Amino acid sequence: MSVQVGRPAPDFTATAFHEGTAKEVKLSNYRGKWLMLCFYPADFTCV
Amino acid sequence: MDSNFSHKVWQEVELSKMVEGGIPYPMVSDLGGKIGTEYGVYDEEKGLDVRGRFLIDPDGVIQAMEVLTPPVGRNVAEVLRQLRAFQHHQKTGELMPSGWQPGKKTLPPETETLTRAGHVWEIWKPDMAF
Repeated sequence: MSVQVGRPAPDFTATAFHEGTAKEVKLSNYRGKWLMLCFYPADFTCV
Repeated sequence: MDSNFSHKVWQEVELSKMVEGGIPYPMVSDLGGKIGTEYGVYDEEKGLDVRGRFLIDPDGVIQAMEVLTPPVGRNVAEVLRQLRAFQHHQKTGELMPSGWQPGKKTLPPETETLTRAGHVWEIWKPDMAF
């Protein structure tokens, strides 16, 4: 692991729940837009 | 961390009651903490991702990050302030001093050069940070 400010965000592809259904998402598909990536311990906890 | 099924249930029984139509952005399933490990926020012992937040610019570069242990939630207003500050910097080259808010005084790009070193006090005072 090594993430640093000023360095590229590690790319990943993963399954996600979006608009009522399961979809594949890829971080680098969001190039051209600002993006906030948030991690949280579990559903049903505060964010 | 949770499965898409868990995300769906959370959307239906709770989030859709807080936000009309539910949360509009993708809720990724990081089973096994693979993504969390890449970003340094996976707690292997507890088997969960801690509260990590990464602000990524249009070129895919991380501009800001914040990591908290689980008991304390984040400050959304601060994330938005940072976003606006980075956007303003990328547009104008200006620097945002401590506590900057949209509309407040910025510092010229040359502030950090040697010729200006030692002169920030002439244009900025600590009470401007609040």
